[in-house]
Amino acid sequence: MELKKYFKIWYFLTTIATQIALTSRLGAILFLIGKLLRFALFLVFIMVIYSQTQGIQGYSFWQVLFFFATFNLIDTASQFLLREVYRFRYYVLNGTFDYFLTKPMSPLFRSLFGGSDILDIPMLAISIIFVYYSTFKLTTVAPIDLIIYGLLVINALIIALAIHIVVISIGVLTTEVDNTIMLYRDLTQMGRIPVDVYREPISWIITFVIPIGVMMTFPAKALMGLLSTQFVLISIFLSLTIFFLCLRFWKYAIKNYSSVSS
Amino acid sequence: MLEFSKMDTISVKNLVKTYQVFKKEPGILGTFKSLVSRKYEKVKAVDDISFSIKEGELVGFIGPNGAGKTTTLKCLSGLLYPTSGEISVLNFKPWQRKRQFLTNISFVMGQKNQLWWDLPAIETFLLNKEIFEINDSQFKKTLGELVDLLDAKDILNIQVKRLSLGQRMKCELIAALIHLPKVLFLDEPTIGLDVVMQEKLREFVKSYNKNFHSTIILTSHYMEDVQNLAKRVIVINFGKIVFDGLLTELVKKKAPYKLISFMERNKDNFVKIKKLGKIIEQDFPKLTIRVSSKDSNRIASQILDNFTVEDLTIEEADIAEIIREVFEKSKK
Amino acid sequence: MKKYWQIAKITFSETTAYRLNFVMWRVRVVLQLLTIYFLWQAILPRGAKILNYDHSQILTYILGTSLIWSFVMASRSQSIADEINSGSLSNFLIKPINYFSYHFFRDIGDKAMNILFTAVELTLMYFILKPPIFIQTDPTYLALALISIFAALCLHFFINFILGTIGFISPEIWAPRFIFFIVIGFFAGSYFPLDILPANIFAIFKFLPFTYLLYFPLKVYLGQLPLEETIVGIFTTFIWTAVFALIANLAWRKGLKLYTSWGK
Repeated sequence: MELKKYFKIWYFLTTIATQIALTSRLGAILFLIGKLLRFALFLVFIMVIYSQTQGIQGYSFWQVLFFFATFNLIDTASQFLLREVYRFRYYVLNGTFDYFLTKPMSPLFRSLFGGSDILDIPMLAISIIFVYYSTFKLTTVAPIDLIIYGLLVINALIIALAIHIVVISIGVLTTEVDNTIMLYRDLTQMGRIPVDVYREPISWIITFVIPIGVMMTFPAKALMGLLSTQFVLISIFLSLTIFFLCLRFWKYAIKNYSSVSS
Repeated sequence: MLEFSKMDTISVKNLVKTYQVFKKEPGILGTFKSLVSRKYEKVKAVDDISFSIKEGELVGFIGPNGAGKTTTLKCLSGLLYPTSGEISVLNFKPWQRKRQFLTNISFVMGQKNQLWWDLPAIETFLLNKEIFEINDSQFKKTLGELVDLLDAKDILNIQVKRLSLGQRMKCELIAALIHLPKVLFLDEPTIGLDVVMQEKLREFVKSYNKNFHSTIILTSHYMEDVQNLAKRVIVINFGKIVFDGLLTELVKKKAPYKLISFMERNKDNFVKIKKLGKIIEQDFPKLTIRVSSKDSNRIASQILDNFTVEDLTIEEADIAEIIREVFEKSKK
Repeated sequence: MKKYWQIAKITFSETTAYRLNFVMWRVRVVLQLLTIYFLWQAILPRGAKILNYDHSQILTYILGTSLIWSFVMASRSQSIADEINSGSLSNFLIKPINYFSYHFFRDIGDKAMNILFTAVELTLMYFILKPPIFIQTDPTYLALALISIFAALCLHFFINFILGTIGFISPEIWAPRFIFFIVIGFFAGSYFPLDILPANIFAIFKFLPFTYLLYFPLKVYLGQLPLEETIVGIFTTFIWTAVFALIANLAWRKGLKLYTSWGK
């Protein structure tokens, strides 16, 4: 019953957000072009590297592309679902967040998922196709590894969700959102390539402390059969722990909320 | 003296709400200093207040800016977590934000919209319908009633950004009341509106209170809102309640006087009459004197009998003036 | 002239007015640099070579382009489009101030701040990471490098200005800038030294203006170009600068006509 209500509301809010986004069509199209360009140019970069050097740390060309494809999938999916977080600061500053709090709907849900916009879907479709395509180019993949891949991608989205919860919690406490979210984006950018490429201790920090590695590199490695079961379990354990901690943080933030003065 | 029973829709006991405000020094040096150690001070926005409100009452919360009215309202609606004290609204603790509680309240903030700017108002109503889980027939019925009361039939399908301020206000009200809340919190609802719209809003609030029997708390620093709407007022200043009771009682208690104005063309009489009360305004032949309420009738008849005055009027003391004095006194 | 230096000074201290934003911005810049630095460290470990770049040269390239970026690209001139859109451009039009010069000096203030901090960050990075960088000692090359950097600065100024004039024809500010940023990042050579591209493709790049923003000045610094090529390159930069200056002027005049006809 609950789920149905929330899905209905999510759908409603998504259509609203899309309608609003379409009112400035030019900007929307330009951003789409920009994202496609960013994606394509990075591909070119990898191609240039592979044509002139021995490549990156023993990984084959298509393996590296698959890492990038996985990164792209997780990145675009989380941006699509969590688009509303980018508007959060605005809501806190102009008092709209107060309205979230006084309605019988989870303010957390509203702040995270209330603004997915359809214009993110082309990019999402492209990332799915790219993942699909590059999987074929790899040497045979065991079906079990495919399943674990799927599992770990969902796992990555849970971590992304947890991090966004922290971001808006900080936003509730300090009204600072934009810098935190851009910091998150810069850090996740490091996951475009397999994180074990980075030198220690960076590699370790990036994998476990700021779990970029768990998010972006582990799923791809699992599909290639390079990830031991123990790490699969660690990943899941890590994401669930982080998720619950972040929820506690959100509850704390709400308790200490001092809304914008009248 | 204050009795709290289960009959009370709203009851507040010893509510305190303090904020921490950070102090920053100006300049670059201050900048680096504040990164390292921050000085903060505690501001008591609400300082131990208690009151209770029964179902269907329309209460006015008045006080100057920063008095603690909005903070109190935000504590009552669950937005803020009280520092100490007890609050009970509809037998719920507001800050727990239980579903049942939120479905039965509405919080309207003056000048802050909940309507989607780029879309017609009806979209916001439909969204609220989902959020409050209102069924189709009830939705239609309530919408119809509110639209009638507010005369808003033609504006529901126009983009909100294209509506005039008055039309927007009507739609905001519909959005806020579509779920027929039992308790309505109105925070400075008339702020920014012109005189005509303020009137209309007050009329609406009055009739809504009468027709739907909801409990309404309204905060304002406009005296006209209070004069025209609320029989009962709670006066707040510096986070403390200065007065809680009927407006007429406030007038009687704080300003037990009346103003008598008239014209006396006879110069000798003019001088004599001046002695009957405290002179407020004099501009021969016009005169306004202040006398105590209980003496007002006697003195008025005395004037009429013994002097040849024209245009005698007896007025209540200006309520705004009274309240201002109350604020002044409570500063000490 | 004094007023322009005043403008530069004010811009310099403006950037610290928003402390948190400032700190976060620096953190992000450092992060982005570290990402590409570590990537190249992994691609080209010690001893490996790609064309005429060895380990230390490629790292010098990456760190060097970052330093040059802070000098050439840093700009407040994205405010041009904002000023047009909000109408505050009118305030400039009634003052005895040349709009081009105003923004040029504003940029200088911004660049000064950028360089200061980039230098500090790079020094810190040097001591922590100990990259094997290549320090140019030949004064001729150094002088030529400085000239080419200055030329790049002018070139970028006009390109950026033109971008700002988009404000005359569209309320979209971020989208075009976003695309531009991505394109420049790649085509100016901040991802990799452009000459590792296949020869026929690189030949095209030699004619593009963006090549002279980052890649070319750094090549001069590394002393990897023969003298004639260097002179030709600097000359090309100035030609492109002149071209863009002309376009900027045209865009400005046409745009101004539109702007004043709105009567903002």
